[in-house]
Amino acid sequence: MKMADGSVILRRNRPGTKAKDFCRWPDEPFEEMDSTLAVQQYIQQLIRNNPANIDLILKMPENQDEGVWKYEHLRQFCMELNGLAVRLQGECHPETCTQMTATEQWIFLCAAHKTPKECPAIDYTRHTLDGAACLLNSNKYFPSRVSIKESSVAKLGSVCRRVYRIFSHAYFHHRSIFDEFENETFLCKRFTQFVTKYNLMSKDNLIVPILEDENTPGESEA
Amino acid sequence: MEDNSLNHQNGAQIGGPQTVSVTNNKQNEEANPKAQYSIPGILHFIQHEWARFELERSQWEVDRAELQARIAFLQGERKGQENLKNDLVRRIKMLEYALKQERGKFHKLKYGTELQQGDMKPPIIDEACESQMDIDQSYVAVSNSTWKQGRQLLRQYLQEIGYTDRIIDVRSTRVRALLGLNNNTEPEENHNGSSVNGNESIKRASETQGRRTPAKKPQPSSLAEAMMLDTEAAVMANLDFLSNADVDMEDDDDMSDDVDIEPTDDLDDDVKVVKRKGKLDSLGDDVDAEAMEVLNELNLLSESGERQEFKNEHSEWKKGFQGGVPKRPLGLNDDDNIDSALGLGELAQLTVNNDAETTYDIASSKEAFRKTWNAKYTLRSHFDGVRALAFHPNESVLITASEDHTLKLWNLQKTVPAKKSASLDVEPLYTFRNHTGPVLCLAISGTGEFCYSGGLDGVINCWNVPNSNIDPYDLFEPDVLNTTLQGHTDAVWGLSVLNSRQHLLSCAADGTVKLWAPHSKVQLLNTFTSEQDGIPSSVDFVRDQPNRIVAAYASSHCVVYDSETAKSVMRLESSQDSVNPNNKQINRIVCHPTLPLTITAHEDRHVRFWDNHTGKMVHSMVAHLEAVTSLAVDPNGLYLLSGSHDCSIRLWNLDNKTCVQEITAHRKKFHESILDVAFHPTRPYIASAGADGLAKVFV
Repeated sequence: MKMADGSVILRRNRPGTKAKDFCRWPDEPFEEMDSTLAVQQYIQQLIRNNPANIDLILKMPENQDEGVWKYEHLRQFCMELNGLAVRLQGECHPETCTQMTATEQWIFLCAAHKTPKECPAIDYTRHTLDGAACLLNSNKYFPSRVSIKESSVAKLGSVCRRVYRIFSHAYFHHRSIFDEFENETFLCKRFTQFVTKYNLMSKDNLIVPILEDENTPGESEA
Repeated sequence: MEDNSLNHQNGAQIGGPQTVSVTNNKQNEEANPKAQYSIPGILHFIQHEWARFELERSQWEVDRAELQARIAFLQGERKGQENLKNDLVRRIKMLEYALKQERGKFHKLKYGTELQQGDMKPPIIDEACESQMDIDQSYVAVSNSTWKQGRQLLRQYLQEIGYTDRIIDVRSTRVRALLGLNNNTEPEENHNGSSVNGNESIKRASETQGRRTPAKKPQPSSLAEAMMLDTEAAVMANLDFLSNADVDMEDDDDMSDDVDIEPTDDLDDDVKVVKRKGKLDSLGDDVDAEAMEVLNELNLLSESGERQEFKNEHSEWKKGFQGGVPKRPLGLNDDDNIDSALGLGELAQLTVNNDAETTYDIASSKEAFRKTWNAKYTLRSHFDGVRALAFHPNESVLITASEDHTLKLWNLQKTVPAKKSASLDVEPLYTFRNHTGPVLCLAISGTGEFCYSGGLDGVINCWNVPNSNIDPYDLFEPDVLNTTLQGHTDAVWGLSVLNSRQHLLSCAADGTVKLWAPHSKVQLLNTFTSEQDGIPSSVDFVRDQPNRIVAAYASSHCVVYDSETAKSVMRLESSQDSVNPNNKQINRIVCHPTLPLTITAHEDRHVRFWDNHTGKMVHSMVAHLEAVTSLAVDPNGLYLLSGSHDCSIRLWNLDNKTCVQEITAHRKKFHESILDVAFHPTRPYIASAGADGLAKVFV
């Protein structure tokens, strides 16, 4: 690695970088990424280029370990869900949303506690994201970011199920926030396609009607 | 017993054995009040009584002597520790003085003016120490039986710490090799000096003996005496060395002189070796020598408790002690006697040697941070690179800020009970969510009450730091977000806190530096811009001039502003090559906590040092293999920590600008690796934050 002398591109966000230039560097082909974080780099690069191009974002490179691919995508979802949580913090108060609900059918219990608890929606959201952050960064289950045990891959499904409820709560109770966020990030749609593609959740649980009203996913909304 | 009493009953005339017990005797008297008194019987009785009293008397004497010896031993021990403490304090003073002089000299040479600094008086050395030494010696001389006890105790200690044969062999060969070089330098002088010592010790020993009650068992007594002599010799050797070292320190504060002490003492010991070879009963003198050594080391170790600044060094020492100090067969092996004298010589030398090492360490490293830092905690919970971290001012708590839009609070002392999904030793206690983009910078107020974070979203959030014992899955409290500072129109990249005034300094990609009073009504106090330099990359308060601030610019120059007038006061420019200023971009600027020194970390791998008074660059060094991203100065201003995209953090001695330690800490994401480093303001922690989403804490 040499200093930038014009020929070598250094992909860095140096202090003083303007927000619009943040991470705005020429794409690096996935094959050339030699870092242990290559998959994360690649996924983030795709999202930055066009968050609406879900098919491309979810298209796994050849010879890629599928467990790692799913894991890194889920990390990215949880990270981006922070954005939705921040928006919900302003509107979803414990007094108004005393329970985590989507449709009236279910009350979701917060699994972050020793005995699952009926947390208010905003706490459920925060606890679920915090718990997911702990699990996905757990040295026990995910000690490496280049290979993942089969038993740990099985944990991804439950994380998906839980974080999906944040989408559904926002959709059914804070629709304007949901729409605003979705228009910007296409996150729920990407998530729905992701879990469908990799069979991480059953179709019955995907209660946000986001794919139905989309005949040509991806392009039309961009 | 039955036999004895029978004897008495049948008539004391026969003259029962003298060992008859007192109680039996009395019983006999009471039992046979009418027994015939005969002259031999009475004589025998009187004899017997006399023997009994004598026995008791001598027992009491022995007890008394033992207790006295114990007192003396303890007092001696105390004195010894005090002496050591004094010695160390004096050394510190000398070093401080030397440092001051050096600084003055340096300053004078560099700028031609006298450097104004505190008192330049050489430290006063109290002479009381010398006399104390004498007292010590006499104390030690009394303690014969104490030494038996002491030996017992030390034997225990030694067994506990695993004092093994092999280690001592290795060590003694090493010492021998070391000594082989300058064994015969000044034989005559030392010979004289040490023989005087030897005579004295003998004299004192005989005095002691004279004071003792005539012992019943002459042979053990002389054995004990011999042991005592040896003990004393060992003690003398050590004390002698100490006083030597002291004298040396007084004469000259140049540390290299310690080297001269070594051969001196070595010869000292050689002389004693000769003496001792004549003695038959040198049983256990090697034990004594070891005892002294161990005692010395233990003394030193116990010092560490009191002296905070020595703590680190001593912990290192302790490690060396546990691992490296040898074990001798502690039983009184006769085989060892032949070697024991030699052994003593070496061991006494070892003591000296150790001390010389200590001196060296003190000299070279400024005690406080003479230690190797080891990674202890890995803080995993961020989904993306950790851009900044900051320690709580006094608790074992830190906050990290990440590109995943969150900040997290960690308590290093609180290990969260492992739930089924978590096996981490440290889990974040709280996640701060309010930024809508990556969080880029972070600062904690001096009280630890507030923390400030700046993000790519251009917002500065002021948070109330939650209690460090909070339940991680507690209910959401919106008032954790204290206030937000709106004013920047682009990414906020740098924050700095001035504790004395509760001021906050920020710099952003909109080209401005802003001074805030976050907790007053009018939050924005001032805005600073420099047209010619463009976008600031990092800011700090000038610590020794509270109304000045310094901002680093991507142009590779720094500007010092007056915080009240917002006027530029001075520019720190490295003019020599402005060929490609982009490569020299400053990534971080920090001001020294006490000196008028500003330190900058550059994209061109350099760390540069600036004089705040003159604005001149005083030092420049290539610090890393790649861009230097972050800097932190330890709270005492002695060490500098730097982080770089070469994946390593480096610890620098600010005095001589040498790298003390390098740690490879993080992995790369794209071409970024380490994004921030920090010192804990009051506790021995350092930390690094990486683009790999981890933060690491080293102890």
